[in-house]
Amino acid sequence: MIPIEAVLALGIVLFAIGLIGVLARKNLIVILMALELLLNGVNVVLVGFALRWGNTTGQVFALFVVMIAVAEAAVGFALMLSYFRHRETYSLDEINDLKG
Amino acid sequence: MSLLSYIPFAIFAFFGALAVGSALLMIWQRNPMHSVLYLAFTVLAIAGVFFTLQADFVGAIQIVIYAGGVVVLYVFVIIIVNLGDLKAETRKWFPRLFLWSVPGLLVLELAALVFLHPLPPPSTAPADLGLPQLSVQLLSTYLIPFEVASLLLLAAMVGAILVARKKVTHDSH
Repeated sequence: MIPIEAVLALGIVLFAIGLIGVLARKNLIVILMALELLLNGVNVVLVGFALRWGNTTGQVFALFVVMIAVAEAAVGFALMLSYFRHRETYSLDEINDLKG
Repeated sequence: MSLLSYIPFAIFAFFGALAVGSALLMIWQRNPMHSVLYLAFTVLAIAGVFFTLQADFVGAIQIVIYAGGVVVLYVFVIIIVNLGDLKAETRKWFPRLFLWSVPGLLVLELAALVFLHPLPPPSTAPADLGLPQLSVQLLSTYLIPFEVASLLLLAAMVGAILVARKKVTHDSH
């Protein structure tokens, strides 16, 4: 039997690593990857709750999170490619203007 | 309690440690191509965690969509963007202090909230977490969110194509 505390700890640690990646890195691509890590940490917690209370609702929510993650990755990459064509940069230090 | 009953937890701990270690390596790497390989490793390890938590379908979706779709998309984008020379990412100590302490404090707060308050007791009924149960719930109780999600994916696809295409101007030919 897997204790729910272990599942929660794994989810929180994955979320924290993703948050550190989003905040501390300057490369746009790595920031998008760290966002996937945030969503995966949430998914681990949802699936663990589904197991603990014997109810598939948590798994359904995890599936919806995966759908949102895919949509986010597609739109994020499109925006990044579009910006890269304009500016030839991917570093957050050089992305400092609002007008395209 | 026999030794055999610890085997599921041992497998869970193995995959969890793999996921955490490769996630740390992922945000540590300077080269984004190395990062994306560690992301693939993390995603597969989390799929293993899902299998040990009796979420077979979510684990399969994790492998098919994340490892097979999203990670390949990342690889393609890195190839297209063609990073060239890698710049060192340095910060002064003051922003670095904030960027590491904010997630750290958030984790401490979350851990305190989760572990200091007792969770509701687990259900005593035998768990039925199979794919039939999941699919019935997905297509009856959550039918409208399911359809809305399909609309969202369509909108995201059209929007991504519109945003990422090359702008064709009339005076170019």
